[in-house]
Amino acid sequence: MSTRIPSLLEPYLSLPPEASLILLTSVLGASSNWLVIRFIYSALQGQDAPPEQGDTKVLLVSFMRDLNFWKENARRLGLDLDKLATKKRFAFVDGLSGLYLPAQGSAPVRAGQKVLSDPDLTAISKEIQHAIEMYSQDGASRILLVIDQLDLLLATGGDRVSAVEIEEMLMGMREHVHATVLTLSADSSLVSSQQTPLESNHAAALLGVAHTADFIMSLRLLDSGTARDVSGVVRITVGNQESITDQRAGGKMEQKELLYFIGGDGGVKVFERGQ
Amino acid sequence: MSFRKRNVGVAQPGDLSAARAHGDKAPVPGVRPSPLDGRLTTSTGTKSLDALLAGHAGLAMGTSVLIEESGTTDFGAALLRYYAAEGVVQGHNVHVLGMNESWCRELPGLSGVDGAREKEETRSSDERMKIAWRYERLGEFGRSRDRSIPQASRQSSGSHAQSIFCHDFDLSKRLALPTPGQLQFVPAALRQNLDFADSKTELSPFTNFISHLTSQLSSSPTSIHRVIVPNILSPALYHSEASRPENILQFLHALRALLRKYPEELTAMITLPSTLYPRTAGLTRWMELLSDGVLELAPFPSTAIAAKASSGVSTVHEEPPQGMLKIHRLPIFHEKGGGGGESSGFGDDLAFTLSRRKGLVIKPFSLPPVEGDSEAQQGLDGNQGKSTKVDLEF
Repeated sequence: MSTRIPSLLEPYLSLPPEASLILLTSVLGASSNWLVIRFIYSALQGQDAPPEQGDTKVLLVSFMRDLNFWKENARRLGLDLDKLATKKRFAFVDGLSGLYLPAQGSAPVRAGQKVLSDPDLTAISKEIQHAIEMYSQDGASRILLVIDQLDLLLATGGDRVSAVEIEEMLMGMREHVHATVLTLSADSSLVSSQQTPLESNHAAALLGVAHTADFIMSLRLLDSGTARDVSGVVRITVGNQESITDQRAGGKMEQKELLYFIGGDGGVKVFERGQ
Repeated sequence: MSFRKRNVGVAQPGDLSAARAHGDKAPVPGVRPSPLDGRLTTSTGTKSLDALLAGHAGLAMGTSVLIEESGTTDFGAALLRYYAAEGVVQGHNVHVLGMNESWCRELPGLSGVDGAREKEETRSSDERMKIAWRYERLGEFGRSRDRSIPQASRQSSGSHAQSIFCHDFDLSKRLALPTPGQLQFVPAALRQNLDFADSKTELSPFTNFISHLTSQLSSSPTSIHRVIVPNILSPALYHSEASRPENILQFLHALRALLRKYPEELTAMITLPSTLYPRTAGLTRWMELLSDGVLELAPFPSTAIAAKASSGVSTVHEEPPQGMLKIHRLPIFHEKGGGGGESSGFGDDLAFTLSRRKGLVIKPFSLPPVEGDSEAQQGLDGNQGKSTKVDLEF
């Protein structure tokens, strides 16, 4: 089982302490999907939690990818999301297929799946809150909220959505869940120049979230060009060191920079430089 | 012969019908399963581009490619035309957005239609001989993974003359236009509606594209569709309102949703003038993030081409490259995280050449020996090492 999660990343991927926020950043060509899948895997597969705390549940909100993509990649790790959905341990909020596409007919919505159809921020957060409530009814359970590419709302929202509103919405959702994993794009062209409203809003949101995050795992391509056996670099930056090491008995959080390689079969190798 | 006998013996009636079912599914012209993971792919109409797409040997269905081109040339349009022509020849539905009917008059025709068909057949059978039997079967029945496919059914589906995945086109010929329904054009709303009543409803300039695509896709669910958007956001074609982030990004998001909704029917190819929308801008980056594949064409300045053409062609048999191609993202491959696709060419220096017969050929870039240098080198060789020593002393 431990082979599915790279051993060097194990301390970071295990279920985070309560109320923590983990930020994953990606760039074009170095996507964070494999890391998201492994967060979900370790949350749903790890059975070491004391029974009185109940099951860990995952609510995945994805604005760029559909459920089929996540299912296919989870299956490679031996995780059956359909089965987990019927057990009420996994739920999916689809922010892709209905957000800007006019609804046509009524597609059958399966258990544990919700399709967002109104791009308005309050409507979206209401839908997500509703999904969280549905899953926290039985009390003793911890919900891990995973939001994939929340920054899309900022980009497509135009003048109506500002960075502050995104952060407020995120804060509202964090109140109701155990911990949150968030992925954002951190391409230099989105962050560095800040000339257009799109860029400055994105930079503001990204920096705001980065400062509140407990730790950040940022993915990027190799600085020195491409290599056959390296897909990219993952840099782990720990925010508020004390709070997170207190609550975590196991591995100590360290700032690290590691290389990773993703094989054709979806397997991931993580190694230090020079190994 | 013993293996065949065993095959017959093991094959159960259920298996046979399963193979039939796949056999019915396979003959969709122009679509074949990827050798990597069996997902359906279709050809871009450009062989060397098909080969680049991370080992899938074609553009995976349900994905899109964004082609950025700098400068005033339009090599991207050539790629789009091959993609459209391939779709027309294979009988796919082609939707051209933002253009009118005149665009399709310049689609390249099939090269050597009369005699070539036979030649193509023999060539493809030659190729079949070379490919290991196991992989060849994977190519046709990769999805089934069924060991007990009767040989007869395999051959019958192979003889369907639909084995051509990517045709050869000739730029100097014109494609005979197909039945009217197959090629469809949705012009961009150039002029904004000045009525006050309409401005309240805030119709995006791309709304008619999306409504066209949704109605077309839902009305013919089994056929294959190709979406082509030439020069998106170019001020010659689109109103400035279109390039507001909310409009264009919402369109691309909706297109992405459509691609995911019809993962076995739809592919899309878009070109973007990157001189007007540079890659350093946040808007362009979001357009790239919303596309599955991102390619950048960087043509050499025309003077360089002319100079090289005059000197290079006579001596070197190969045509000089006309520009560089950069791969920023590949469908499927980068969505998983990248890596593992050694044949992808991601990060390599690639050059492209557009020629009349071969179409757009992409190959690794290598600098030809500079004319003057080679003479100097020959001179040095003739004068032996001594003179070089003398030359070096000063």
